[in-house]
Amino acid sequence: MRRSLRSWLWRVPVDQEVDEELAFHLEMRVRDLIAGGMDPDQARRVARARLGDIDVVRRTLVDLSHKRDREMRVMQWIDEFRHDVVFALRQMRSNPAFTFVAVLTLALGIGANAAIFGLADATLLRPLPFTEPDRVVRLFEVNSAGQRTAVSPMNLADFTTDSRTLLPGAGFLPGVGGMVMKGVDGTSETVARQWVSSRFFEVLGVPALVGRMFEPGDDWVNGNAVVLSEPYWRTRFNGDPSVVGQSLVLDGEPYVVTGVAPASFRWNAPASIWALVQVRPSPELRDQYFWRGLARLAPGATIDAARAETSAIAAELARTIPANKGRTVAIEPVRESLVGTDLRMTSLLFLGVVGFVLLICCTNVANLLLARATARGRELAIRSALGAGRARVVRQLITESLVLAVLGGLLGVGIGAAILAAAPSMVPAGVLPPAITLAFDGRVVAFCAAASIVVGLLFGMVPAWQVGDLSSARAIAEDSRTSTGRGGRLRGILVGGEVATAVLLLVGAGLLLRTLLAVENVDRGYRAGEILTMVVDPLASEYPTNDALVQFYDRVAEEVSGGPGVAAVAWASTLPLGSSMAGQVSFEIVGEPPVDVPQQPRADRQVVSWSYFETLDLPIVDGRAFTSRDTGESPGVCVINEAFAARYFRGTSPIGQRLSLRQGGNTRQPPVLREIVGVARQVKGRPDETSELLQVYVPMTQDGLDDIYLLVRPATGSAGALASVVKAAIGRVDTKQLVSVGTPRTLDDVAHEATSAHRFRAVLVVAFAGLALLLAMVGVFGILAYSVQQRTADFAVRRAMGATSRDVLRLVAGSAARVVASGAALGLLAAMAASRVLTAVLFGVEPLDPLTFGLVGGVLALTAAVAVAGPAWRAARVDPAQVLRGR
Amino acid sequence: MAGSPKSPNALLHGALDALILKVLSRGPSHGYAVARFIEEATGDALLVEEGSLYPALYRLERRGWVEAEWGTSELGRRAKLYRLTAAGRTQLDQEVATWRQFSTGVSKVLFAS
Repeated sequence: MRRSLRSWLWRVPVDQEVDEELAFHLEMRVRDLIAGGMDPDQARRVARARLGDIDVVRRTLVDLSHKRDREMRVMQWIDEFRHDVVFALRQMRSNPAFTFVAVLTLALGIGANAAIFGLADATLLRPLPFTEPDRVVRLFEVNSAGQRTAVSPMNLADFTTDSRTLLPGAGFLPGVGGMVMKGVDGTSETVARQWVSSRFFEVLGVPALVGRMFEPGDDWVNGNAVVLSEPYWRTRFNGDPSVVGQSLVLDGEPYVVTGVAPASFRWNAPASIWALVQVRPSPELRDQYFWRGLARLAPGATIDAARAETSAIAAELARTIPANKGRTVAIEPVRESLVGTDLRMTSLLFLGVVGFVLLICCTNVANLLLARATARGRELAIRSALGAGRARVVRQLITESLVLAVLGGLLGVGIGAAILAAAPSMVPAGVLPPAITLAFDGRVVAFCAAASIVVGLLFGMVPAWQVGDLSSARAIAEDSRTSTGRGGRLRGILVGGEVATAVLLLVGAGLLLRTLLAVENVDRGYRAGEILTMVVDPLASEYPTNDALVQFYDRVAEEVSGGPGVAAVAWASTLPLGSSMAGQVSFEIVGEPPVDVPQQPRADRQVVSWSYFETLDLPIVDGRAFTSRDTGESPGVCVINEAFAARYFRGTSPIGQRLSLRQGGNTRQPPVLREIVGVARQVKGRPDETSELLQVYVPMTQDGLDDIYLLVRPATGSAGALASVVKAAIGRVDTKQLVSVGTPRTLDDVAHEATSAHRFRAVLVVAFAGLALLLAMVGVFGILAYSVQQRTADFAVRRAMGATSRDVLRLVAGSAARVVASGAALGLLAAMAASRVLTAVLFGVEPLDPLTFGLVGGVLALTAAVAVAGPAWRAARVDPAQVLRGR
Repeated sequence: MAGSPKSPNALLHGALDALILKVLSRGPSHGYAVARFIEEATGDALLVEEGSLYPALYRLERRGWVEAEWGTSELGRRAKLYRLTAAGRTQLDQEVATWRQFSTGVSKVLFAS
């Protein structure tokens, strides 16, 4: 190699070399032939003839030479690269502290990015777990008020059955409820069930693992049918294929198992069984909007074409069918509705935040390298003086950076894998739909590899650039103890940038934290402390009338209130900050001009027992609460909430006014007339709602519901402790074990869950911003400690010339303060410009919240003071006599 | 080429490489000297096609079995000199062994009585 390198460096052009060699050969041959007695002319001819076609030979040789040179260059490059890597590793071993800090910093940055990439990949990029997910769309109806609603079975059929752009559609109900399954041994268990339509699996393209999936017609030909999920099938039925075709008794009725869905299929909520809703097409279903619509685009059709076609169908339906008046349709890709704007926004936010953290990591490592490069200035200068060439030195520096980055990346992969392994328990329930899975896989590893290379080049560029114009003579001549200049200024700029980035993230974290505090401290309306709650779902077939149902509820309430430590018991269809199970009513105020039903305003229907207001200590601000005398036989009554009263009875008392209510805007049944007897204090439906919820409370005795929350207030102590008491009491009433009882929770749990997305965002961003601040301060400390060390002599001279230690302190702290302050100012300005992007996830705080900006400034000043204190103190304590003697 | 009658002294495939390596194992020499040596040593029994000698030399160089350097010929002319490398020496040993095995095998059959 060594010798060929030399010949390669001062070689003659390849073709000239070949010509010369062939000429030499001919000349020698001719000479020998002549010596053998041939005449010169003939000798020349014979010599040429023996060589064959000289042009061909020549071309072959030139070609071979070129190939050889190319290979040699590659070999040489690889050789040098290997040499650089070995050199870099040796350098790293000889400086373990530097290596440790740099690799750890990079590993943290890359690891955090890998984990967040895992989340973003799952929510934004990775295909959903069913066939050609990009071809599946969600269908919505849009009511006359412009709100998206579910679709009715009849409209869904009209939109998709004869469509050119959509294949026949399907529906599902979003929630997962419990079904009671009775075992042969007399025990019963609650199974998580989701209702779907017969084409649900066909639209999503989910093949059966065992048996078959639902088929069109199953829903009214074969009776009740269910599909089992694979995990449930494996745990409950030991993976026995003969379960297909058998009947399970669910909620007291037989359901035939048609098949098993593979575990890879996951939808919006965790279900153990999918059950078919019995829907026989009929005109009455025209305005029953309950399906969440799904359809698959027809081969070759685009989503825009499907939008155009369904809109035309909807317009036609609106013209010809009264119930459809004013209704239109909307279509969006299934990922958008499954992932949701909120989650998408969160993923992008996190991605941005960790990206900045990685940038700070890079900057810190670049700074470390810069400081070292300055110290290594002489070494590098000598290398280049020995003929290494600037490009060669730069390549070596970048190789060193890449080696660091690759080590950091390897460790980062480990950190990312660990975070992702722990993530499912850290991510609050409900934030991620089951169709989105966090997984550590090849994609995350590929991301880490790419991140390492980019990061290595990024921070490797800085010292390489600084060395780029290094003047060898000057660097060698200079005393290595004195050096600042360009390297120092560059380091100052980098640290300023780090501070600015940290400030930007801190402002974001502060705003999200303020949002979290706002939603947590939102006035829930009720005053009771701890309340235990659980869903109670009796079988409709066991309690066919509302009176029978209410009697059952009363008996349970009686039994529970007799239990030890129970202060009050109530029933309600909706929990404060929880989801509603009773839907909405459209209403008219009796005596005001009539309005068509589709155009009527709507309010949340809240079915409660008369004890509800007392149990929750929810104040009645006007009129009265329900009493035990409001029964099924007495006149219809209702209680409205404050927002309702303020909006529709401005200034006047609503007490005594009557409302005409229609359940879900249903036009076929006559409206129910109810007198307003009271106004209840406002209760929040969601912690971050921006328009106040309108609610109409209806007594349970007058409007039943077979799926309702039991609420229990303890006399003293913790509500959670009552769970077993309450379950035992229900068991005493429900001797046949036909009632499904949900998991007991407290209202605080419900509130906690309602704020979990905010908490998840705030906690994560605060953690990352904290990390960013720490890294930035390490940067400030590093640059200051280094410059103090470099300027020890300078300080000694100043002290010898009469400067006090306070002067030196001021000098050092002042230079640090300039870097930090300009970085902070820049960061605050950037935050002002950027905080607007957070608007969608903020609540109860302005993007330009002065308190947040002020606090961030304060936190920064404090931490910067801590970072600066050490080096500044050391500078102030320089003993001039000792230092100058040392010189 | 296929189908054309084989001249009795045509070189077997790969044999030229072995011959070149063998020649160079005696010391560095230029291309012409290699050609001459083979002619003389085999008494012109094996006619080296000169047009394929140089490509063979270049290929051997590419594989790292020989090295080339410009030097001075025995007559004081500038000439490209080829030298066997350590890898080339190993290769030669291998070729010799292979050749011996091959020729013993063939001889056993051809000269069997």
